[in-house]
Amino acid sequence: MKSASVPIDQATPAVHLRDVRVRRGERIILDSLTFSVGRGEIYALLGGNGAGKSTAIATILGFLPYAGGAVRVCGDDPARDGYRVRGHIAYLPENVALYEHLTAVENIAYFLAVAGQRRSPDAVMAALNSSGLQAEAHERRLVGFSKGMRQKVAIALAILREVPVFLLDEPTSGLDPSASSDFNALLLRLRNAGAAIVMVTHDLLGVVDCADRIGFLESGRIADEAVASGPDRFDLRELHARYGKRVLAA
Amino acid sequence: MIWKHELRLFLRERAAIPALLLLLALATASVVAGLAETARQRAVIARIQPVQAADVAALADGDNPGDAPYSTYHATWNAPNPLAFAALGQRDIAPYILRVRALGLEAQLYDGETFNPELALPGRFDFAFVLTYLLPMFVIVLLHDLRAREDEAGRSAALQAMSRNAGLLWFRRRAVRGLLLYAMILPPFLVGALVSRVPPGQIVAVSLLALLYLMFWLALATLVERLGWKSAANAGALVAGWLILTLILPTLANLAINSAVPVRQGLELALAHRQKVHAAWEIPRAETLNAFYRTNPRWSGASPPKGFDDKWYFAFHEVADESVAPAARAYQQGLLDRDRLTQRLGWFIPAIGLQARLHRMAETDLSAQLAYQDRIREFHSRLRQFYYGYLFSDRPFTRTDYPKAPKWGDGMGGLPPSR
Repeated sequence: MKSASVPIDQATPAVHLRDVRVRRGERIILDSLTFSVGRGEIYALLGGNGAGKSTAIATILGFLPYAGGAVRVCGDDPARDGYRVRGHIAYLPENVALYEHLTAVENIAYFLAVAGQRRSPDAVMAALNSSGLQAEAHERRLVGFSKGMRQKVAIALAILREVPVFLLDEPTSGLDPSASSDFNALLLRLRNAGAAIVMVTHDLLGVVDCADRIGFLESGRIADEAVASGPDRFDLRELHARYGKRVLAA
Repeated sequence: MIWKHELRLFLRERAAIPALLLLLALATASVVAGLAETARQRAVIARIQPVQAADVAALADGDNPGDAPYSTYHATWNAPNPLAFAALGQRDIAPYILRVRALGLEAQLYDGETFNPELALPGRFDFAFVLTYLLPMFVIVLLHDLRAREDEAGRSAALQAMSRNAGLLWFRRRAVRGLLLYAMILPPFLVGALVSRVPPGQIVAVSLLALLYLMFWLALATLVERLGWKSAANAGALVAGWLILTLILPTLANLAINSAVPVRQGLELALAHRQKVHAAWEIPRAETLNAFYRTNPRWSGASPPKGFDDKWYFAFHEVADESVAPAARAYQQGLLDRDRLTQRLGWFIPAIGLQARLHRMAETDLSAQLAYQDRIREFHSRLRQFYYGYLFSDRPFTRTDYPKAPKWGDGMGGLPPSR
C-alpha cells in the first residue's frame, strides 16, 4: 500500500496512542489507553459494550478531542489537524451506508471525489474484483445489495484510497461465515501489502484468523494484549477462557 | 469533477427531478398566465379608442353647450408596464381603465373599488406568487434533510472521515440544489421578460432579487439544519417558518398597519361627493356659483344662469369636488403612509420586501395606482377647462369641436394602447 497524497515516515508507527484520556462530562470513557500499530500489522481491539471501542475510533479520526495523552496517526495529531489525519485513514463504519440510488462504481467515484481523489475505471474494477464483488454487481444500484456486498464495495473504496491506515469498526458483524472468511483473507492481503489495520470488534473467533495482535479493552484501557507469533503467541482456548465469555456475551 | 458527482447524486434522488420539473412547470404557467393577462389588458385598452370614436359619432349636434360635457365619456387607461406580467399586483383589483366625464370627478374615481373584490384575497397566480410563496416550499422539500438524512442513514461519519473539508461538502450540496432551483424558476421569467421587452436593467434586478430571496431560504434551511434535529423535525420547523414568514407575519403586519393608519374607503368619498351634489340642488345658485368663481375667476364674467343652467350644474359638481378634496387628499396620504410602512417592513420580512420591490418595479403597486389617479385628475381638469370654454362663453358645441377635446396620453403619461 502507499499513501496517495501525504508522504509518510516509514519508521513512525502508523497509529500510536499513549495514555489517552477522553471524558464525556464527568465520565471517563478512555483512561490511559495505550497501543501502537505498525505498518503491515493487523491490530484487533476487542471489548464489550461500553468498553470504549467507538470512542477510541472517534478519537483516532479526530472527531472527539482527548483530554490527556497523545494520539498520532502517521505522525500527525488528529486533535490538531483532523483533516490531514483523516487523509491517512480509510474508515469502514460498522454499518456500511452507501448511496442506494448509485451503482457500486458510482458510489466509489463519489466518495473518492469527496476525498479529492480520482481513479481510472480499470483501477476501480480491479479494486472491486479484489474485494470479491461479482462483476455483474459493479454497475448495479445498491438497492438489494446484501450487507456483505456493501462491505465489499466499501473495502474496494478503501483500497482505492491508497492510504496507509485502515480503521474498521465491527467489519464482520452481520456477515455469514463464508463472507467473514473472505473478508479476513482480504485483510491479510492488505496487511501483506503494508497497510496498518486497526479493527474494532467483539468477534473473538474472527480476529484469531487474521489479527497479529489483540488488545482487550476494558473500561477505556487495554487490560491485556496478546500476540499471534513468537513465544508469547496467543492460544485460542486460553483467550476464550479469559475473555471469550465476556466478549461474546457483549 | 466533484460537482458532477454531487449533481448525479442529487438528480438520482427520487424526489429531485419531479420536484424540479414541477417548479419549472409552475414558473412557466405563472409567466404564461401573467403574459396572457397583460396581453388581455392591452387588448382591452386597444379596443377603447374605437369605442370612444363610435360613442362620439353617435352624439348629435345640439345648441346647448352643456350637453357635450354631460354626455361624453373620455377614456383613460393605465397601460401595463412590460414587467407587469411577472407581478400583476394591484392591476387585478384596481381599475386600469376609467372613462370619465367633465362632471364631479371624485364620484367617478372610486367606482373601480367594486370591480373585483373577490380577487383581492387570493391574489393572482403570477411569477411573484411562485417566487414568494412556492419557491420556499421547494427549498424545504429538497433541503430539509440534507444532513439529517446522512445522519439517519449512518453515512455522516464516513463522509466526514473522507472529506477534506466537511463544510465545503455541505456547501456544495446546498449550492447544487439552490442552483438547480434557480435554474428552474429563472428561465421562464427570462423568456417572459424578452417577450414582454422588459429593459435589461429590470431583468437583472429581478434575477438578483430572486437569487437573494432563494439565498435567504437556503440560509434558513442551513440554520435549522445546524440544530442537529431529525429530518422530520427540520421539515416541521421550516414549514412553520414558511407559514410565519409568508402568511402570519405579513397578515399581522397588514392588520397592524391598517390599525395604525386608519384610512376611509374610497367608496365613502364617492358617496360624500354624491351627497354634496344632491344637496347642491337646495342651495341658492349664487352661493354655489360664487364658490365656483373663487377658484375659477376666469369665468366669473359669464352670463348669470336663468332657470336650470348647465353652468350652475357643472359648477356645483366642481364645488362638490372641492368640498371633498381634503378628505380625498387625506385618503391618498393615508394609503401612501400605509405603503411606506409596508416598504419598511419589507426590510425585516423578506416575503413582503420581495413582493413590494417587484410590484414597485412593475408599477403595479399602490403608488402606481395613485399616480394613475393623479394623471386622471390632471386630465379631468383639462377636460373641464376645455368644456368650460364653451359653457361659460355660451358658445355652441358642435360635432367639429369634439376632436379639439383633450385626449388621454397627450402629455399625460398615459401609454398608447398599442404597447
